[in-house]
Amino acid sequence: MNDFYKKLVDLYAGGELTEELEEELEADAFRDPELSYEMTTLKRTVDLIQSSPEPNFTEESYQRILMKLYARGVDLQHKTPTPAHLQYSLPIQT
Amino acid sequence: MPNDSLRDSLAEKRWLTALAQGDPSALGGLYEMYGERIFRYTYRMLGNRSDAEDATAETFLRVLRRSAELRADGAFRTWLFRIARNLCIDKLRQHKLIELPPDAQYGGSEDRTALRITVQQALADLPTEYRDPLVLCDLEDMPAREAAEVLKISVPALKSRLYRGRRALRDKLCGTMEKKMPLEKKLR
Repeated sequence: MNDFYKKLVDLYAGGELTEELEEELEADAFRDPELSYEMTTLKRTVDLIQSSPEPNFTEESYQRILMKLYARGVDLQHKTPTPAHLQYSLPIQT
Repeated sequence: MPNDSLRDSLAEKRWLTALAQGDPSALGGLYEMYGERIFRYTYRMLGNRSDAEDATAETFLRVLRRSAELRADGAFRTWLFRIARNLCIDKLRQHKLIELPPDAQYGGSEDRTALRITVQQALADLPTEYRDPLVLCDLEDMPAREAAEVLKISVPALKSRLYRGRRALRDKLCGTMEKKMPLEKKLR
């Protein structure tokens, strides 16, 4: 396979080709087993990576990271800045 | 800009401003915003939960230490990922981490767990220069331009590594794919 087709296959696998070019390349693949194999396996690889389940950020991990930061002396008690109109208490009118 | 992005951008700016003004508690806000993404990224780079937790904590510690350098100009996320990446590279150099302890908390069926382990092992076997773009672009769904900034390379260089990485991963996963994709389902 020449470099031009190799480049096209890379773009095809990443979904970066226009619909028209994609169809043309797929038509070519019917006549070229090597091209067909390259397209199919590479596209399948990208699908496999992208559908691979993502690591679960568990509550335990969340807390353990917080504890590591606390242990290093970081105070993470974040507080949303109080809106200006709530910063001062107004005298209650009776 | 969608409302969620705008809200996140404003929140990020608020926390960064507070942190730059010396309020360490603002780090908690940034951890809420980015902790999960950094954890996922470091997990995928290092291959195990414990090291990912260490690397995530260290990433935010470094943000705090370097808070004087912070600018709320939209480049924070790139900078954050760059810190996390450097920490991962250091850890990989120190330990050559490739073992994958079974992770019951990963969730999903046995098939999905097996798939995750297969992909993770194949990724772990790749050189870092290929693994980086695959994790950032294909797993973290980061735009090419931003991933290139994280890795301090040009967009064409990133794409070249990404394409070569996909081919290398394909070669490693070949057996798995043959099982999952019978010949008759291929294009021909």
